Amino acid sequence: MELHVSAHKQLGTFSLDVDFTVEGDRIGIFGPSGGGKSTLVGLIAGLHHPDRGVVVIDGEPIFDRERGVNIPAEHRRIGMVFQRPHLFPHLSVKGNLLYGFKRCAHRYRKISLDSVVEVLQIDHLLHRGVRNLSGGERQRVAIGRAVLSNPRMLVMDEPLSGLDDNLKFQIIPFLKSVCETFTIPYLFISHSLTEMRIMTDRVLCVAGGRVEAQTTGEQLARDATGDHPSVYMNLIRLKGPRRIDDMCAYPWGEGELLISGASGDEEALFEVSSADIILFRRHPEAISARNLLQCRVSELFNTGGRIGVALDCGGERLVALVVRRAVEDLEIREGVEVYAAIKATAFRQLG
Amino acid sequence: MPLFSHSDYLAILLSLKVAVVATLLSLPFGFAVAYLMTFRRFPGKVGLDVIVNLPLTLPPVVVGYFLLVLLGQHGLIGKWVLQPLGIKLIFTWKAAVVGTAVVGFPLMVRSIRTGMETIDRRLVEASRTLGAGWFDTVMTVIVPLSIRGIIAGSILMFARGLGEFGATIIVAGNIPGVTQTIPLAIYDYVSSPGGDAMAMALCLVSISISVVVLVFHEWLSRRMVRAD
Amino acid sequence: MKKIIGSVFLVLIAFALFALPVRAGDLNVSAAMSLREAVTEFSNAFSAKNPGVKIQNNLAASGALAKQIENGAPADIYFSANVKWMDFLAEKGLVDRKNTVVVAYNAVVFVGKPDLKARTMQDLVKLEKIAVGSPRSVPAGDYAVQAMKKAGIEKQLEGRLVMAKDVRECLMYADRGEVTGAFVYKTDAEQMAKNVKILFVVPQELYPRVTYPLGMTAAGAKKPEAVAYFRFAQSAEGKKILAKHGFVVE
Repeated sequence: MELHVSAHKQLGTFSLDVDFTVEGDRIGIFGPSGGGKSTLVGLIAGLHHPDRGVVVIDGEPIFDRERGVNIPAEHRRIGMVFQRPHLFPHLSVKGNLLYGFKRCAHRYRKISLDSVVEVLQIDHLLHRGVRNLSGGERQRVAIGRAVLSNPRMLVMDEPLSGLDDNLKFQIIPFLKSVCETFTIPYLFISHSLTEMRIMTDRVLCVAGGRVEAQTTGEQLARDATGDHPSVYMNLIRLKGPRRIDDMCAYPWGEGELLISGASGDEEALFEVSSADIILFRRHPEAISARNLLQCRVSELFNTGGRIGVALDCGGERLVALVVRRAVEDLEIREGVEVYAAIKATAFRQLG
Repeated sequence: MPLFSHSDYLAILLSLKVAVVATLLSLPFGFAVAYLMTFRRFPGKVGLDVIVNLPLTLPPVVVGYFLLVLLGQHGLIGKWVLQPLGIKLIFTWKAAVVGTAVVGFPLMVRSIRTGMETIDRRLVEASRTLGAGWFDTVMTVIVPLSIRGIIAGSILMFARGLGEFGATIIVAGNIPGVTQTIPLAIYDYVSSPGGDAMAMALCLVSISISVVVLVFHEWLSRRMVRAD
Repeated sequence: MKKIIGSVFLVLIAFALFALPVRAGDLNVSAAMSLREAVTEFSNAFSAKNPGVKIQNNLAASGALAKQIENGAPADIYFSANVKWMDFLAEKGLVDRKNTVVVAYNAVVFVGKPDLKARTMQDLVKLEKIAVGSPRSVPAGDYAVQAMKKAGIEKQLEGRLVMAKDVRECLMYADRGEVTGAFVYKTDAEQMAKNVKILFVVPQELYPRVTYPLGMTAAGAKKPEAVAYFRFAQSAEGKKILAKHGFVVE
């Protein structure tokens, strides 16, 4: 999908002024609260209109003030998932799910109720009223409802921000599988870097009503600049564990990662801070860390004033955070072999 | 208990008829106005609010007189719209309906607005992104969610209509069997020495009807709460 | 700000509580609506002769007035448009019969637009709407309904009679054209009508003669001002005023 927006909108003292073109099916919009992300997305969905400018999707102008083009929101076929589910309280779950479907022209109806219900696992909820659902169930129904309207694009405005961590990482797989299964391109808005990295390929950074950059989640994490300098977090997806004592061993690269405190799920997402990875030039003889990985340095980069050392471990990637002095002392350079030590307790399971 | 005369029975039936018709007639307009006031922004919104609420603050007699001037033989609407169409409103039961509707209109609008204002605005946005145009949204989202306000407004208006006197007597006159509603009949009896017993009897009828209406409203409200 | 609101509130309450008392030497005259101009002139003439006496004229349908007096409204003089209501008060002991006297007579007429073709009672059945005083409280209406009954047209006019609260309201309806015609007194039509005129006089045999008894209430009889007024209304000067306004006097 190709999205082009060139628009200006004044809202009181705040003004949104953007001009960008972005391509891809998993696009993120990242930035601080009040920076204009929701406004921008509202313009794309047609809920508000720019004072001047154009909005073009895949070459088709859906708004062009000069030429008097303004396709109303209900005809743009852009589904929206909000921060809160906003389900229709007077309709059952099934009624909510089918609301958009019924209003979708027959020729566009590729996604059916049954398939969505299966992917989101909400079969048992179909005939319930919406008031007695849990937060996670509600958000899943909201996602299903938006998807069933068979949109050409899905816009998700901080859909996970209202959920606690546990729930967040439960819903993310649903979101991803729904959009992958039904091949719906989406715009994903969030102020969480982790969510960006998991959900998107390209990211627009929006702040102060302007698009500051077009980048990737990975790059943002590495840059770690801005108001909240953060430490780069490694995100690792692992499958097929076996139990050793009270730990789980997941195959990774050419060996295994031993993780303490994992739930033992068949497939899981873990994060480990780059600051928790210690580098050795030589194999340390006796070390308490259960994970000792042989890696090659692939890249060095600046991150928040320190050095990120990108490592290649048997085909997998890791980033370790070290201070400049350490790099000089250990003579760490591209292509050099190092050992990376990670404690089994350093991993945090996300979902 | 004195027996009601023929014209008394007519008065009771007429009161019910006028109140029901006035309520039904006002419903679509009341809903439209409440919708505009709640969900739309437009220049002159404050002006509309004032005009709609005016009958609430004016003595009904003033409203009745104003309607008489407007709709009568020499009035703006009477002369240029009604007469050419051959419609006579003054001193007919239709005038009673108009007077009752105008006086009760602000009550209906208020009730519906109160109900509408609790509707989550995002639901309207959601329905639009799901493909519903504004009319579709109104019928499938806003009406069902404001039904409580609509019912409350209707009942309030109906009850007010049963008791409407000031505007009615001016614009519809006191014509037994045709425009003499319960309040007008009571007034007639009250002005007459020896008419107290009949006046009281009609009062009791009026009270009974009101009690029935209020009980019905309560029951309906309970049912709606349970349905949730 | 609170202090200001508080003091305004207190002042308002003070006004309400300490309302000006009714002065002694006040006279309350309750008279039929058809006597409005005559009674006003009476009262002015009387006041001129007796400065210091404040007269309150209360004008409405005779029946409504009788009801008010029955319920304790202050009235020293009662001037009715029929004998029925005066008798009613006498029976209740509110008026002493020896303090009543008939001073004037009137006639019922039918008024309408000058080009309206209505010359007899029978002609009225063709008309759309007719204003008439509510017979339960307005003597003019009572007389008119009796006449309609005697003329045999009452049933046919069912649903077409607009009940007014007094005879002047009938005239107003006819004048404005909201009704096709109205039953009023000859005196009203001659005095007040702007757009309508008398189309015919209702034949006297169809209804009892319109009689105006003047009475002094039991309360009024105790007041020297009321006695003086009572006498004045019966004097030559009083009669002249009544005649001037079209009433038939003894």
